[in-house]
Amino acid sequence: MAYYLGVDIGSGASKGVLMADTSTVAIYSLRTGVNYRLAAEKLRTELLAAAQVKAEDVAGTIATGQGAGMVDYADGQAADIRCCARGMNSIFPQVRTIIDVEGQSTQVMRVSGTGQVINFVISEKCASGAGRFLEIIGNVLQIPLEEIGALSLKSNNPVVFTTACAVFGESEAVSRVAEGVSKEDILAGVHKALADKIASLVDRVGMEPECGICGGGALNAGLVEWVQRRLGIKLLVPPQPQLVTALGAAIFARETRKDSLS
Amino acid sequence: MSREVTSIYFAGIDLGSTMTKVVIIDDSEKVLGSVVQHTGAEHRRLANRVMEEALQEARVSIADIAYVIATGYGRINVPFADKQITELTCHARGVAYFFPKARTAIDIGGQDAKVLKIKDGKLIDFVMSDKCAAGTGRFLEVIAHALGLGLEDLGPLSLKSRRKVPISNICTVFAQQEVINHLSAGVALEDVVAGLHDAIAGRVARMARRLKVEPEVVFTGGVAKNVGVVKALEENLGCPVLIPSDPLLSGAIGAALIARQTVLKAQAEGKFVPVTGRKLEEASFFK
Repeated sequence: MAYYLGVDIGSGASKGVLMADTSTVAIYSLRTGVNYRLAAEKLRTELLAAAQVKAEDVAGTIATGQGAGMVDYADGQAADIRCCARGMNSIFPQVRTIIDVEGQSTQVMRVSGTGQVINFVISEKCASGAGRFLEIIGNVLQIPLEEIGALSLKSNNPVVFTTACAVFGESEAVSRVAEGVSKEDILAGVHKALADKIASLVDRVGMEPECGICGGGALNAGLVEWVQRRLGIKLLVPPQPQLVTALGAAIFARETRKDSLS
Repeated sequence: MSREVTSIYFAGIDLGSTMTKVVIIDDSEKVLGSVVQHTGAEHRRLANRVMEEALQEARVSIADIAYVIATGYGRINVPFADKQITELTCHARGVAYFFPKARTAIDIGGQDAKVLKIKDGKLIDFVMSDKCAAGTGRFLEVIAHALGLGLEDLGPLSLKSRRKVPISNICTVFAQQEVINHLSAGVALEDVVAGLHDAIAGRVARMARRLKVEPEVVFTGGVAKNVGVVKALEENLGCPVLIPSDPLLSGAIGAALIARQTVLKAQAEGKFVPVTGRKLEEASFFK
């Protein structure tokens, strides 16, 4: 049995997928912390232990994400956008537009039927265009990240944020709390702001159905709903959206290996 | 009975996003009293309190103030003001009071940064940035807080740096993460702080170059109190910058000077009617 490993070392979380030929046998994720090399090591150790596989049985490893260069055991690297596209394509072959919402960036890409990237746009300069904005406001309200999305959907009167900056947005949220505005309305406001930003990225890249959403941000069902409302369409959401990029990397590891053997 | 010209006074109040400043002058432009305090949520009540303190310092009664001009982001929340004027006009005037030959004024406040072109004490052009915390005092405030440092510690600390580390993120949130990564990789704190100062100075200097920087260059606002940013700004602009004795007060002084000018002009034209019995109303923001 040949094993293939895909590791995605992100700024917030590191994710890994271990495949035995075409099926996933182990997944693992952890907080990256400040030492990318250490996170990459721990990721492999945990994945191999979970699947009871020896390191020498892994036929190929592809690293991706911001810390890809720190994965000493990788055979190669691939751009996270390519991995994300490949991973989504393996789950939803019909997907043509992909929204990938990460902690520090959001990317929207158009992909072909074989999962190749045709065009993409990234928002990465500013926290207000990424999952971090939600995290910051959730923090102000002292509501765990897992709960903010559902709460935001209970609002009938979303707050309008007058600023496009996460830091100034945090101050606005504090002011709204002081004025007695409900947490639901504040959360709805910040989800709506992020959904607007995502929609503008989708417009720039040009939407072609079907459209899917992945990345850690897609774990937030509330955000998915706000984006759906904003775009007026249903989105394809994979069961473990945060692992899609690592999955794509594992698939590339297998395909690269196959190519070099043939 | 009309008062003697020598006994009238003028006030300027600058209600900023972070700090509120009041200046009282007499008719010879001499500063009699000045107060600087944190701006809280209750602007109106604060405006009254700060004004009262400045009056005490100046040993002047509110009834003797001939004219009050309010400026700054909260200027509409000053119940006792006769007129509101934008902070750009007041800054230009205040900067020229400190440095009559000033042609460029850079102001970095708690929530915005602006560059003013000045000629003969008058504003002729400006650029400002208030959409994003990067390049404002807030950038330093957020990161100093994350590092457990006081704002006043940053300047002296950064001067010890011998190898500043470049900060590549523009966004304050991401820069904060980057700083933590640098520190855990073993970079010295002073080198990181010097890098932050360079980042904010670089951003503001780029903005200033859009207007063409002409000497003399004056640097005001709360961030001008940070010697590290002053040094970084001089490096980025390639010229010295002048700092007023109190860099926070230029807007409030400008407002007071314009108040004086308004009254003197009206008096000369025989149109001035002094306000009598001006009071500081105890007003609440939440009424």
